[in-house]
Parts: sequence; structure tokens; C-alpha cells
Amino acid sequence: MNRVYGVLAEFDSISSLIEAAKEARDIGFRKMDAYTPFPNEELAHILGYHKSRLPLITLIAGLIGTVTGAGLCYWVHVIAYPLNFGGKPLNSWPAFVPITFETTILFAGIGVVLGFFAICGLPQPYHPLFNDPRFGLASNDRFFLCIEADDPYYNEDKVKQLLGKKAVRVTTVDF
Amino acid sequence: MDYLKVPEEVKGIKKYALAAAAGGFLVMGALYFFLPGTVFFASYLVGYLFWLTIALGILGWLTLHHMTGGGWGIMVRRISEAAVYTIPFLAVFIIPVLFGIHHLYHWSEAEAVAHDPILAHKAPYLNVPFFILRTVFYFAVWIFLVFRLLKLSLEQDKTGDAVIYNKLYRVSAPGFLLLFLTATFASFDWLMSLDPHWFSSIYGVWFASGAALSGMSFLALWAIILYSREPLSEYKRLVYFHDYGKLMFAFVMFWAYISFSQFLIIWSGNLPEEIIFYIPRIRGKWLPLSVFLLIGHFVLPFLLLLSARIKKDFGKLSKIAIWLLFMHWIDIFWNVFPSLKIGESYSILFAILANVAVTVMVGGVFFYFFISRLEKMPLLPVKEPFLREALESE
Amino acid sequence: MDRVEKPNVAPVLAPGHSVGSITDKIASVILQKTPRWWYFGFGIAFLLFMLLQLALFVLFVKGVGVWGINIPVGWGFAIINFVWWIGIGHAGTLISAILLLLRQDWRTSINRFAEAMTIFAVACAGLFPLIHVGRPWLAYWLFPYPNTMGLWPQFRSPLMWDVFAVSTYATISLLFWYLGLIPDLATMRDRAKSKVAKIIYGVFAMGWRGSVKHWHEHEVASLLLAGLATPLVLSVHSVVSFDFSIGIIPGWHTTIFPPYFVAGAIFAGFAMVITLAVPLRKLFGMYDLITERHLDNMGKIMLATGLIVAYGYAMEAFTAWYSGNIYEWFMVYNRATGPYRWHWYALFLCNIAAVQLLWIKKVRLNPIYLWIIAMFVNVGMWLERFIIVVTSLHRDFLPSSWGYYKGTIWDWATYIGSIGLFLFLFFLFVRFVPMIAIFEVKTLLPEAKGRSGNE
Repeated sequence: MNRVYGVLAEFDSISSLIEAAKEARDIGFRKMDAYTPFPNEELAHILGYHKSRLPLITLIAGLIGTVTGAGLCYWVHVIAYPLNFGGKPLNSWPAFVPITFETTILFAGIGVVLGFFAICGLPQPYHPLFNDPRFGLASNDRFFLCIEADDPYYNEDKVKQLLGKKAVRVTTVDF
Repeated sequence: MDYLKVPEEVKGIKKYALAAAAGGFLVMGALYFFLPGTVFFASYLVGYLFWLTIALGILGWLTLHHMTGGGWGIMVRRISEAAVYTIPFLAVFIIPVLFGIHHLYHWSEAEAVAHDPILAHKAPYLNVPFFILRTVFYFAVWIFLVFRLLKLSLEQDKTGDAVIYNKLYRVSAPGFLLLFLTATFASFDWLMSLDPHWFSSIYGVWFASGAALSGMSFLALWAIILYSREPLSEYKRLVYFHDYGKLMFAFVMFWAYISFSQFLIIWSGNLPEEIIFYIPRIRGKWLPLSVFLLIGHFVLPFLLLLSARIKKDFGKLSKIAIWLLFMHWIDIFWNVFPSLKIGESYSILFAILANVAVTVMVGGVFFYFFISRLEKMPLLPVKEPFLREALESE
Repeated sequence: MDRVEKPNVAPVLAPGHSVGSITDKIASVILQKTPRWWYFGFGIAFLLFMLLQLALFVLFVKGVGVWGINIPVGWGFAIINFVWWIGIGHAGTLISAILLLLRQDWRTSINRFAEAMTIFAVACAGLFPLIHVGRPWLAYWLFPYPNTMGLWPQFRSPLMWDVFAVSTYATISLLFWYLGLIPDLATMRDRAKSKVAKIIYGVFAMGWRGSVKHWHEHEVASLLLAGLATPLVLSVHSVVSFDFSIGIIPGWHTTIFPPYFVAGAIFAGFAMVITLAVPLRKLFGMYDLITERHLDNMGKIMLATGLIVAYGYAMEAFTAWYSGNIYEWFMVYNRATGPYRWHWYALFLCNIAAVQLLWIKKVRLNPIYLWIIAMFVNVGMWLERFIIVVTSLHRDFLPSSWGYYKGTIWDWATYIGSIGLFLFLFFLFVRFVPMIAIFEVKTLLPEAKGRSGNE
């Protein structure tokens, strides 16, 4: 027999999903996630996603970009290849600002996207939830809540009973 | 809606404002006899324009709000209206500048124009009667716009007609346009022509960016003051304070962008008639002030306002707003004093005192009328059609 | 609160939609059988694209001599087209980034294809500097890399800033677009019938499953990218304006250039958004997603930016006189009376006069009028760059070296061909990628708020 990933419940509206998630959270479930066709702030709060590490990643990446851009311009024009150009000083910092700015944005932007992929664990070629034939509707007009088997409170029958109250369909998903 | 009244402690400011106006006036009057005319009138110009640009910036925000809507503007609409209400009164205080034309503006001396072909070329524009005429025209436009907006707003409070919402919109669109144009030429006249040889086509945008930033800082500061007290405290919605923080942040960057663009283009071109503006500012005694302006008006507020937490923190945001208002003063000072040819034979202490005295005096006038207007109407536009929606946010 | 009248505001999303119907509507554009008009339009775009290939072939074989450029006008169509295209791109970023930060929810149904427009326009723009360098196979010399010649690029040059600005802009726009596409690609993956389509969409969707955690990070990432893209978009066209204003050529060296170029870019970009949106709305029957509200708002933004551009012209001309510099003043005089005066008058007609019609609400709400005005602006903004580039060069300080410039047939072939490349990419885009952000439009539905409890 396959190992169980968790219990998946399907809802037909986001409000019933929110209520079910609230109830499950109040009971004490933590290893759970909801799957919806569009973002919803309230749901993120219920499931405990308040903060993100992305702003910090962006800031650090941006600072690296600043140092890289400014450093490149300075190093090239003052150290590696000093050349008098139009009587401007070797360290003509006002002229270095645009490139420094662009590298800051470039590094920060790449930082955001790579950070996003890293935090979300994407790309992910396989995920057990896709074994459920109706799970594809999570990207259309259906709403899913999955309580995972490694939650300390997990008990398949009880979870099924709990989710069954609001859901239109409850199943077990295997790995 | 009797209960949306200005808190008593805020009303109390009026007394101090009058006292400040009177005290500032006395100190300023005394200093007139101890300072060279140029220094005195330049100090006056700095202190005066500081307050006027705040009011003009807020007039810009108010018209923009009437055009685009949005809860951020509804929540500070009464503060904005009270602030622009000062413009007709501030208009009176331009008169000393007109008396100081010959001290401030080199192009006004017939002797100088006769020997300077460039000034002679500019004479059709830069001459005393036309200068005064333009100044009167700018104020006429602004005062007309202010009265129109305030009158419509009062009517809206009474009747709640949807027509007024549309009327406000229809006044604001061309109003904003006219404001921008008149403010541009006002900046050319009052500030750019301090050095009549120098020119910069971006100068009006610089002027507008500083006015917008200081206007928003003032609005944020007063929103914090009023929304953290009865009776408005129950209408406090954090999201709008975040918006004010974001707008301040955006305009910190915009100001830096405009100022730097002007500097970079002139610095790179290095043409004598343009670089004269920057020579005294990046060489010699004004350099420390330039560095201070760069750090205080851009670097520091930029780094602080990056954080979403600070933008939502009343205490910190109000401190940043005060700081930005102070830096706006420095910015105007920086645009005025280094452009003038002033000898060394005057007391620096007195010059500083004169700057402070004028700023305090005009500020007193500003606050007296600001608070008077705040008292006259409920602190929220109670019949604004989108007020209810604005209050639905958290 | 007592009686408060509500003014009429057209909805962003026509009533009667549900979560599922939005998916159906947008995804069906891709999943249905290819309509006949698509083949027709794609065919024309492809032919024009072939024209570009031909023009480039001739250029590479014979060199830049096939173009009209010569001394004194050494910058011609290539830079004009570069600035024109890159400007067009700016509206996409404005819609996707600035309007997102300003929480303007009407942007949701136009931002996807506006972003696509940005990327394709930047691709077209990037082409011109590369083919303009003379030896395009050595274009990589523009980038700083350690080389055996011991040479480094000149970072004080605005042309070098351009390399950084445009490549950063292209990268960030692409990342932003792709980030927003991931959830919709997942929708396509889950809906596609054919195995091949499922695999291709699946690969690009990267295993997106709509997890709330992922949505949360996705929103944060979008806001962060928007925060980065906003100053970026200002910087890109400012850097483009520095190409001119950093030098001291009369007519180019003026400080208003950076903000004036940025406004012009957004102006041109919105004209192109309207140029594309109006036919798309009609051909795909997207009246309920691209409503009158969108037309109205786009018209207003075009009017506002058009007025800023007019302000730029006014400041430029006023300062030229005010400066007392006879060469600056001659520039203005020469534009109005010299050999390019008709270009200049046409520019005023297109960019200033035509746009004033947008003060009238009826005009803004009529797709056909709006489209015609947008076409005027498309032409006007090209003329603006033509005037800036050519009039400053063709008559310099020495009358003996004055000249006259006009594009050759290969100049025009390259320009029209680049429009072909743009349309070619755009036709592919509307056929294979959801052209409206499905998940974002869903958030406009009242039921998407999903407040639980008894509110």
C-alpha cells in the first residue's frame, strides 16, 4: 500500500474553505495548506503566512548590485584603465550613478524571482496532490484544503469527518 | 455631524500662532536695520516660499485627489482644504519680496541691463512691471482655484449632490494644469532669476517635486495629529497612513531624480552659463550644505521609508515628516543663498536669526488661518460619495 | 450617515461573471480552433517580419551605407526607431507596476498584454543599437568583460548607460511578466486537452498548484518587482534622454529632457496599448473584461501624459529663448521654418492638437475615435524623435556643413519590418498565452473576497 500524503477536501466556494480552515486551525492542525485559483489575504492569515523573507532577500541582492555597479565603474576608470576623458576627473562619480542604479535594480529583481522560486520550492516536477484527478480544478474554480499526514494531530477518520462538514468531497491522497 | 470638531488642544495652537507671527515680525523688523538688504530679503524669500510651497503642494494633491479619487485623499481632504485656505492670506506676504526686488534681482537694475547683452535680451520678460504683473496673475489663479474648490466642498457638505462630485472633478483637471504652469513660471521668476544668467528647463519640475513632497509630509503629519485624537481616532485606517508613507517615499525619490538629472546634465555639459549655478555649491563654503542636502533630503529618508513597518508607525512617520519639512526649508535656502552675490561684511548669526524669524512669522500666519479653517467644517467630508467605501478598509 | 448620492462609474468587470466563467472565457481564446482572421493577420505580420530579415541581410552585406545617414546627420532612423520602440514599452510597465502600487484594480484585464507589448517592444528596440554599430558581430564589445586587449567600456558615456538600462529593463520586464504568468500557465496546463500542450504548459508552470503559501509569496514578489520596476522605468527613458542631453548639441542639451522623455514614452505606450486593445476587444468579444471604464481611463492617461509632453515642448522653447543662447534659439527657429517644418507642424497636430479631443468624454468612450487618436499619437511620437534627432544635426554651427537627411528605402524597410517583428510576436502571444491575467481578474469578483462570518 502507498504511503498517505494527507486528506484532501474540495469546496465550492472560498468562504466555506475559509471556515473549514479556521476550524482546523483552531483544533490545532498546522501541517495543512489550501489550494485556490486566486490569492486571498484572509486565508493566508488563517494559515499563518504573515511574513515573507523576500523583502530581506531583495534588499541584500540590491546592495550587492549597488556595490558591483559602483565598484565596476570605479575600478575600471580609476584603477584598471585610467584615462583622461573630456577633462573629467578619473572618479567622475555623477556619471557612475546611472550604471550603479541599473545594477542595483537588476540584482534586486533577479533576487526577488530566484528567492521566490527557492522559498516556494519551484520548479517542482512532481507533487502527490496531482494524483487526485479533480485537483486540476484548483486552478479553475474549485477550492481545496489538504491536512497532511505528518501533522501530530492527524487521524484520517477524524480529519475526514471534520472536513466533510463543509466540503463537497473528501478523499485521501497517496504519495 | 456636530461631533467631528477640532480637538481643543489643537484649537489652542491659534494663540501660539498669533504670538509667533507677532514675535517673528518684531525680530524680523529689528534685523532689517542690522543686515544688508540682499541678505534680509533673501532670508525673507526663503521663509516665505517655504510655507507657500507647502500650501501649493497641497493644492496640487487636492486637485489630484478630486481627479483620481481614492481613500487617501478623502481622509485628509479637510486638512488639505484648510491648508490651501491659507494661500489668499499668504498672498499678502509676497509684498515685501516685491519691495526687495532691487536687492534680490540683479536684472532689475537698469545699470546692469545696459551693460549686459544677455540681460538686455531677457529684459522683455525680466522687468519689474511684468514681474509684478505675473506675480499677481499667479496668485489670482491660485486664489480662484482655492475659492472654487472650497465653495464646492461646502456645498457638497450641505446637499450631498452627486453633481458636485463631478463639478469638483471638472474644476480640478484644468485647475491642476494651470497650477503646474503658474508654479513653473513662479519658480522661474522668484528663484531661477536670482541668478539671471542661469537657466534650467527642468526647474519648474524641481519646484513642483519639492512642493509635492513637503505638502504630503505636512498632510501626513497633520493626519497623524488629528487621527490619534478624539474625535477622528475612531476613523483611523492604517492603510492610508501606509499610503502617505509610500507617497512620501515616492516623492523623496522623485525629488532626487529631478535634482540629480539637472545636476548630471549641467555637470556633464560643463557650459559656463549653466555650471555657474553649481560652482558655488560644489566648490567652497556651500559644499557641506550640498552634502547635507543630499543625505538629509534623499539618502536618510529613503533608507528609513524603505521599511513598511516605519511607514505604518505613527511616531516614526511623523518624525520623518517633520524632518522632510525641515529639509524642504534647507532645499529652498540652498537654491537661494548661494546664487546671490553677498559680501562677507554681515553677521552670520543675524542672518540665521532673520531666516528663523521670517519662517516663524509666516508660519504663525499660516497656522492661524489653517486652524481657523479646520474649525469651520466637520473633520471628514461627510457627504463625500466614497467616504463610506474609504472607511471600509482596515 | 444621511443622503449621499453616488456618481455613476462604469464597472471594471461587467456583471454576471463567476470564477469558472472567467477561466472559460479567457482560456477558450487559446483552446478554441484558430480563427481565420488570426491566420490572416499572422500572415501579414510574418511577411513584414520577412521584410526585416531582407533589410538586415542587405545591411549586413553592404554596410550602413545603405541607410540615409551621412555627415552631418550620423544618427538617423536607427536611433529614432530605438527611442520610439523603447518608449512604447513603458506603458506596459506603468500598467503592471505603477498602477499595481496605486491599487488601481482596473489594470488587471489589460496588464498581461501590455506587459507582453513591453517585452516585444524592447526586443524591437534592442535590435537597432545592435545593427547600428556597424559591425554587429562585435556588439558584445559593449559589455564589460576582461579581454586580451586590456580594454574596458567607457562608463561615463550615456550610450554605455543605455546598454545597462535597456538590458536591465528587458530582464526585469521578462521576469515580471513570467512571474505573473505562472498561475495562468498552470490553469492552461490543467485545461489543455492535448498531451503536447499539457507538457509544454506544465514545464513553464513549474508545478504551480495554487498553494496559499505560494500565493502569499507570489503577491509579495509581485509587489517587490513592481517597486523595483517603477523607478526602473523612469530611469530607462531618462537614460535614453541622456543620450542626447549629456552632450552640448543645441536642441539636445536641456535639463527638462529626462522627465519629458519619460512622459512621452508613457504617452506613446498608451497609444500602442489602445491600438492593440481596441481590436483585441472586438475580435475576441472581450467587452465584459475590457469595459468602457478601461477605455475612459486609458484615454485620460493619454491626455495627461500628452499634456506633460506639451509642457516639455513649451519649456524647451521658452528656455531656448530665455537662455539668450543664439544657437539654442536658432534650433527652435529652424524647426519652425527650416526644411523640416512640415514634420514639426505634423508633430503638433498629432501630439498636441489631436489629443485635446480626449477632454470630451464621448470621444474617450468611443473605441473607434480613441483608436484613431492613438494612431495619431503613434505617428506623432515617431515624428517627435525624428525632429529631435535630425533637426539638431542637420544644421550645426557652420553653415558650410549643413545638410539634409532622409531615410532610404532600406531605412523604411527596417522600420516597417520591425513593426512586423512586433506584430509577429504579438500574434503568437495572443494565440498561445492567456492574454488577460485570469487569476487577477478573478480577484475582482465579489465572491473572491470570501469574508467568512456574518458580516
